[in-house]
Amino acid sequence: MNGISFLMDHLPLLIPLIILQFTLMITALVHVIKHPNYRFGTKGMWIFIVVILQLIGPVFYFVFGKGDNE
Amino acid sequence: MKNIYYFSKKEFLESWRTSKLFIVMIFFLILGIMNPLIAILTPDIIEISFGGALPVNIPEPSSLDSWGQFYQSMTQMGLIVITLLFSGTMSGEVSKGTLVNLVTKGLKRSTVVISKSIYLILQWTLCMFLAFFVTWVYTLYYFTDDNSPHVFLAVLPLWIFGILLVTAILLTSTISRNSYEGLLLTGGFVVLLFIVNIFDKLKHYNPITLTSENINFLQGTSSLGNYMPAMLISISLSLLFLYLSIVILNKKKL
Repeated sequence: MNGISFLMDHLPLLIPLIILQFTLMITALVHVIKHPNYRFGTKGMWIFIVVILQLIGPVFYFVFGKGDNE
Repeated sequence: MKNIYYFSKKEFLESWRTSKLFIVMIFFLILGIMNPLIAILTPDIIEISFGGALPVNIPEPSSLDSWGQFYQSMTQMGLIVITLLFSGTMSGEVSKGTLVNLVTKGLKRSTVVISKSIYLILQWTLCMFLAFFVTWVYTLYYFTDDNSPHVFLAVLPLWIFGILLVTAILLTSTISRNSYEGLLLTGGFVVLLFIVNIFDKLKHYNPITLTSENINFLQGTSSLGNYMPAMLISISLSLLFLYLSIVILNKKKL
């Protein structure tokens, strides 16, 4: 399997996927930084989770990490 | 009627402002894109991980693989994320006391339940069809076979099961004091359905089959008519859950 030709073949799938993953990550990241009241954990921990765990990380943050008062 | 409209609108606004709606929409879009991608990549992944050691020929991926992936990820990831995000929908409002003002000003408690159910069902419909259409478009683009003729018939049962699940979420979150209790109860409900699934005789009546037989519906090898009882039971269970939610909220101290 040739890497470059594979990439070119599947660009219509990969580009939107990467854009969406980044949007999700950035949204969560901005929220983590702007609202420093979490149900548990520290800012560093949530930044790590959101950035490293793609797809699941941001969802986890919004379910378990986000403080109630915003 | 007007109150239902306003309260549903409030739900959507709340969901938008807390970024829940946005997150869940992006999540389902990603799920939709992943399905055809995983279907395309699977043969390559197997080849890379086993090399020449695997003597069998891996068949070319078809549209069925893409749809199979769709039903797998929707039931394993999609429904779980919906449950996680909305498990506190009623208990959160009760514990924060945001309903007290509205109810003392004359808002009926049944209006709250009905608006919330409308919101949850619309939310589920939106999310599922986002993922569905993305998968559909890419599947048509990448796999030009006609192995999967009944696309809409196959997705209908999943949609009905989703409605059952969101009304179950509403009921459990009305019963419980916080979102974790609600999660536990919803999980218990799904586990119960799986246990009932052990009995083969009840297969056509169990709502859980609406999420496991989709590939057969898609190919046309299994008739949707046989599973009509399961669909009817799902819908009547949803209505029962709604009714119970109203009864319980009426008795609950806000």
